[in-house]
Parts: sequence; structure tokens; C-alpha cells
Amino acid sequence: MATKQVRYEALVKALHGDLYRYAYWLCHEKQVAEDLVQETFLRAWRALDSLKDEKAAKSWLITILRRENARRFERKRFEMSEYEEATITDTRSTSTEQEIENHWLREKISSMPEEYREPLILQVLGGFSGEEIASMLSLNKNTVMTRLFRARNQLKDALDEEPKKRGQYNG
Amino acid sequence: MDDLQFRRGIYADPKTTDADILTAMQEDPSKQKFAQELESLDDKILNALNVSVPEDLSEKLILRQSLASHQQQKKRSRVKLAIAASVAFVLGLTFNSLQFSNAYTNVGDYAIAHVNHEAEYFTNTTEAHVTLTALNKKMTSFNGSFSQSLGELMMADYCRFDGMKSLHLVFKGESSPVNVFVIPNSDHLEFTRSFQSNELRGSAKNFNKSHIIVVGDKTESLQKWQERIAKNVRWSA
Repeated sequence: MATKQVRYEALVKALHGDLYRYAYWLCHEKQVAEDLVQETFLRAWRALDSLKDEKAAKSWLITILRRENARRFERKRFEMSEYEEATITDTRSTSTEQEIENHWLREKISSMPEEYREPLILQVLGGFSGEEIASMLSLNKNTVMTRLFRARNQLKDALDEEPKKRGQYNG
Repeated sequence: MDDLQFRRGIYADPKTTDADILTAMQEDPSKQKFAQELESLDDKILNALNVSVPEDLSEKLILRQSLASHQQQKKRSRVKLAIAASVAFVLGLTFNSLQFSNAYTNVGDYAIAHVNHEAEYFTNTTEAHVTLTALNKKMTSFNGSFSQSLGELMMADYCRFDGMKSLHLVFKGESSPVNVFVIPNSDHLEFTRSFQSNELRGSAKNFNKSHIIVVGDKTESLQKWQERIAKNVRWSA
């Protein structure tokens, strides 16, 4: 019992940040992301004995979280709404160049089709390889690599056009 | 490696460790520059993705888990208690049914056993001292009475007749005492009109809410006793 508790707390401390960010990019709402993470860890606690390999913990947790997220839509189909840009904006005043760019990039990432965004987040934020992402999303590796290519391509194109836009934005 | 293939590879994974892509990069400075651009794009993406995590989230997660497991434990101990209670209950039932189960299946067997058990207390020479009034007073709890004395009554008392309240009368008989039982109708004892053992015979008669059983030795005319009872007994309800 005690060791299970220790394992759980270690898991929470090491991975709750990654899980929260991943949840946030899945649902775009801070509160929902927090709820998702809570639900995920609660399920993880119940099934903790089935986690044999600590190295697989992150992908295991993300799999639980994706399932929880899917369940959220089954439960509340009627509440499903289009993502609103306003909800993702950082409310703190964006002052530095870096923050403006972050803010702008976040909007771009949020408005990207989910099928491109999810592999990108898993790769950049989660540090997973193409094979790992493929098995987590139940896709084949070539599909994952193509989506990653398109995701970055979109962002790069957008960024290359950005300076003009940014002038207007600030102007 | 052609340029398109290279670009696709880098776009898909700027941190690739693919040997072909790495050699191609070393051979061509423009490819290297492109790879660096993509890496800096990835840094920007990572920066953008790194939204701030609520500070107290990990504490909340641990708190919620400990609350949930506490509740689970409470539920488990409640289940244990319920199981213990059920076991105790079943043990109690078993004990009870063993203790108070009915060993006799019909009135005859029980009546003979009862008479044999008490035989040593009564002999035909015991002085008869119970009056008709005293007998009728006892009969009231069976809603009955006798209009005339049935014979010389040595004893009249309430008895447990296989767990039921009954009235046990002992009369002086021809050669040995005659036992008369007044018992309520019962579900668990089968009514038998006549029965006998080696020395005793019995006869039972059904009245509206009671049975009257007469047990005597084989010289006794039970028929006569039953007729006398039937003639004298009155039921009020």
C-alpha cells in the first residue's frame, strides 16, 4: 500500500505538467484540462498495478487521458461547441516580442486540424518517436510522419508571412 | 538524397537521427541551414505549447487520490462488517433450528414419548385431587370447558407439547393412568387418528380448533374415553 502511494506521488510529480499541457491542447480550456488530468490520475491510481514499466508511464497516462477526453464527448454531446479563439488567449498582457510570438503561434496551433495538431504535440511536447505516436493514435507510421510534415509546413508558412501581419497587429 | 525527400524528413522530425539525412546535411550547407531553421521553429512551437500549469495541481491530484482511496477503504470495511454480520446471522439461525427443531413428525409419536417420559411420576394409586372447576379454569385458554367430570383427575397442568402450549391431564385408568392432551392445531405435527407403541395406545380426535389426544395402556378402552370427552366438552369459540 505504502509503495503504491509512493509510486503514485512520484508519477504525479514527474508527469502532471506534461499531462496538463497535453490535456490543454486537446480541449483548449484550462478548467476542462484540469478536470481531465484529475480523472486520468484517479483512473491511473486504480489501475496502477497494471503499469509494469515505468518508462511507459507517460504514454500509458496519455492513453488514459485521450480515452477520458473521448468519453467527455460521449457524455456531453449536446455541449459540444466550436472552439472559441477567445478562450485560449493568455489573459496576461503580452508585452515582450517573445510573448507576442507565442500568443500568435498558440492561435495558429489551436486552429490547426486536430489530426495534425495531436501528433505534433506528442512529438514536440511529449518527446515521443514516430513509432510511439503511431501506436498511441492507432495509425501507421507513414501517416503520422505525413501529418507531422504538414503540421510544421503550415506553421512555417504562417510564420514566414507573419512579419507583415505582426506590423499591423502592433500598429 | 533529393531535396524534397530531405525536406519531408526534416519537416516530419527536425531532431531526426536518420543517417541519410544527417550525411546529406553535412554535405550541403544550405540543407544544414534549413535544418537549423526548422529546429528554431520547433523551439518556438515548444515555447508556445508550454502553457503554464496550475501551481497546486500536483497537490490536488494527490489529495483527491487519498480521499478516493480512503472512501474505498471505508466501503471495504463496511462490506467486511456486512459479511461478518451475515455469518453471525446464519450461525444463529443454524443453532436455533438445531436447538428447537421438531424431532417428531406426528402427534402420536410425540404423545407416546411425552407419556413415557413422565410415566415415573404417576401411578394409578396417586390420589386424585383436581376438581372440575380447576380443570375448566385451565381449559379457558383453549376456549373450552367440560360439563361433567370425565373421571378421577390426578393432575392437570400446562405442558409443552413439542413446543406448543397444551393442557396435560392425567386420569386414573383401569390399570394405569390415562393421559389426555388438549393441543392446538399445528402445522408441523401430522395428525394421526390412532397410534400405538409396545405398551401404549393412543387415539386423537379433531375438534374445531384443538386436538384431544388420549393415551392409555392396551387394557384401556380409548373409544370410551373419546366418546365421554366428545359428549362433555363445550367449545365457546
